Amino acid sequence: MTPLSREQIFKKLEGMENMPSIPATLEPLLRYLSLPVDQLEVQKVVDIISHDKSLTVQCLHLANSPLFCRWQAVDSLRGAVVALGLARMKEIALACSFMKMLPKQIGGIDPVIFWEHSLGCALVSRHLARKLNLPNAEKAYLAGLLHDFGIIANVVVLPKEFGEALVLARAREIPLHEAELEVFGITHAESGAILAHRWRLGPELVAVISGHHTPELATEDRSLVALVNIADLLCRMRNLGYGYAERRLVNLMEEKAFAVLVEDCPTLQDFDWARLTFELDNYMFEVHRLVAALYRIQ
Amino acid sequence: MTASATSRPVSEITAYTPNAYLLRIRDLVYQIAGIFHPDHRLRFLEDRCGRRMKELGVASLRDYLDCLSVKPDRQVELVALLNEITVGETYFFRNEPQLEALRKVILPGIVEAQSKLPARRLRIWSAGCSTGEEPYTLAILLLEEAKGLLEGCTFDIQATDLNERSVAHAKRGVYGEYATRHLTPQIRGKYFVEEDGQLSVSMQARARVTIQRLNLLDDNRMTSMSGFDIIFCCNVLIYFDAASKRRVIQHFYNSLMPRGYLFLGHAESLFGINDDFQLVHLPSTTAYTKGERQQERRRLP
Repeated sequence: MTPLSREQIFKKLEGMENMPSIPATLEPLLRYLSLPVDQLEVQKVVDIISHDKSLTVQCLHLANSPLFCRWQAVDSLRGAVVALGLARMKEIALACSFMKMLPKQIGGIDPVIFWEHSLGCALVSRHLARKLNLPNAEKAYLAGLLHDFGIIANVVVLPKEFGEALVLARAREIPLHEAELEVFGITHAESGAILAHRWRLGPELVAVISGHHTPELATEDRSLVALVNIADLLCRMRNLGYGYAERRLVNLMEEKAFAVLVEDCPTLQDFDWARLTFELDNYMFEVHRLVAALYRIQ
Repeated sequence: MTASATSRPVSEITAYTPNAYLLRIRDLVYQIAGIFHPDHRLRFLEDRCGRRMKELGVASLRDYLDCLSVKPDRQVELVALLNEITVGETYFFRNEPQLEALRKVILPGIVEAQSKLPARRLRIWSAGCSTGEEPYTLAILLLEEAKGLLEGCTFDIQATDLNERSVAHAKRGVYGEYATRHLTPQIRGKYFVEEDGQLSVSMQARARVTIQRLNLLDDNRMTSMSGFDIIFCCNVLIYFDAASKRRVIQHFYNSLMPRGYLFLGHAESLFGINDDFQLVHLPSTTAYTKGERQQERRRLP
C-alpha cells in the first residue's frame, strides 16, 4: 500500500464519515451552560443530564471521588451536580463524551493510558493556571483535558498508521507527535484542529488543540497554549505520558512555551518547579484511581 | 507506567485524609532539608514520625511538630527524623530512573559533546558515598557501556564520605544480602565474587573507584576536587543547614565541567539554595545542570 499524501489524509479527516458523533445530551447541555451563571438552575442541568444514563453515573462517581470532593457521600444526581458545581459540569460532560469516543483498543494499546494522560495534563494545567493567577483555572483544566483531541481523529481515520506511529514512538522513546510526522506526515495537533472545529469547541480550545506542540506559533490565546504545552511536557516526563518515558532531557527555562509564559508572569522563573514535579506523583495515583473507576462504569 | 491501578469500585476506596500536622511536618522537612514526600509517601512519613514519637514519649503529631519547630533541641530532633527517613536507603542499583537517565540520556550527551576531543574522559564524583554501593553501581554501569557507548573513553569514579567507618566498609567492598538484593544474576556473576557467604566487588569494578574520607565543608580540600562531568550527592545535603548547603553546592558548581550534571536523592530539591544550577527533567527523574556557558569560578557565599 502506498502511503497517503497529506492532502489525502486531510480529505479523509474532513470527510470522517465513521467519526463518532456528538452525544445527544452534550449540545443542549453545553448550550444551556453557556448562559450567564446567575440564570442557571440546577434542576434544569439535572434534567438534561438525566437523559444520559452513563453521564449520570459518571457524575455520581466523580462527586464521590476523593479527587473532587472530600465531604459526605453523594447519592443523587442533584446532589452530585451541586457537589461538583455547575461550573464543572461542562468539563465533565466533555470529558465523558471524549472518553466514550475512544475505541477500546488503539493499535494494541490500552486507551486508559491516553485518558490518564489527558486527566493528568488537565490537573497540572489547572495547578499552573492558579500559580500564574490566570483568570480562569477551570478553562485551563478543560484545555488540558482536551489537548489531545486529535488522537481520536487519528485513531478513527488512520488506525493502522497511528498504531505504527505509537509502536515507533515507544520503541525509540521519542515524542508521539514526532513519530506521527515520520509515519504519516501530520500530527494529532493538525487533525485535532479539524475535529475541534467540527465539534464547535470554541476558539480557545481550538488554539490549544492545534498549537500545543508549537506554542511559539500560536497567535490566539498564547498563554493558555503555552501553559498546556508545559503541563503536557511535565506529564510526559513524569510517568503520565503515553505509557512510556521519552528519552530526552528537558530544561523548562529553555522551552519556547516558557518564554511566552514568563512574559505574562515574570515570577515564574522563581517558581519551585522541583516541588511541582514531585507533586505530580500525587496526581498519578489519583488519576490511576479515577480513570480505573470511570472506565468500569462506561 | 504501571497498569490501570486498583480494581476496587470507587465507592469502596476510602480517601486517606492526612493529619493537618503531618502536612505541616512534610512542609517543614521540605523547607529545611529539601526532601519532599508526595501524598503516597505520607503514610511512610507518618510511620517514621511515629517511631520518633515513641522514642520521645510524645503523644500526638501536633506535639511532635513542636519538637521539630519550637523546642530548643529541634535541630537534633530533625536530624533524628531524617535518619529514620533515610535508613536502609543504600543498596546496589538504587534509584533506577536516575541510573536509566544517566545511561540513556546523560552519557550519550557527554560522549557526543566530547566526540571531537583527542582524548575522551569521564569523571564522576559520588559525594557522600556511604558504604560504597553507589560508586560501585556507577562503575558497573559504566563498565557495561565500555564496549559500546563509552568505547575509547577512559572513566573513573571518585567516592568520598565523612564517616570513617563507612569509608572503611566501602574500601573493603564486601556486601550482604540486603545491599545486593536488586542485582541481576548476570551482573552478580560478572562483577562480584562470593566470599564467606557474602559478595565482594570484583577487581575490575574496584579499579575504577577511588575512595577517600572528605568533609564537604572542608573548603581547602573541596577546592581541589575539580573537573567532574557528573556529581551524585544523594540524601546528604538534607542534613546541612541552609548556609552550609549553599557553600557545598557552590563547591559542586565549581567542581563541575561546563554542561556538567548534579544528581540529588529522589525527591530532593535545591529550591531556595542556589540559582546557578538549572533544574532539568529526565525520564521519570530530575537533575541539575551547570548549563552551557563556562562561567568563572564563583566566590563562596
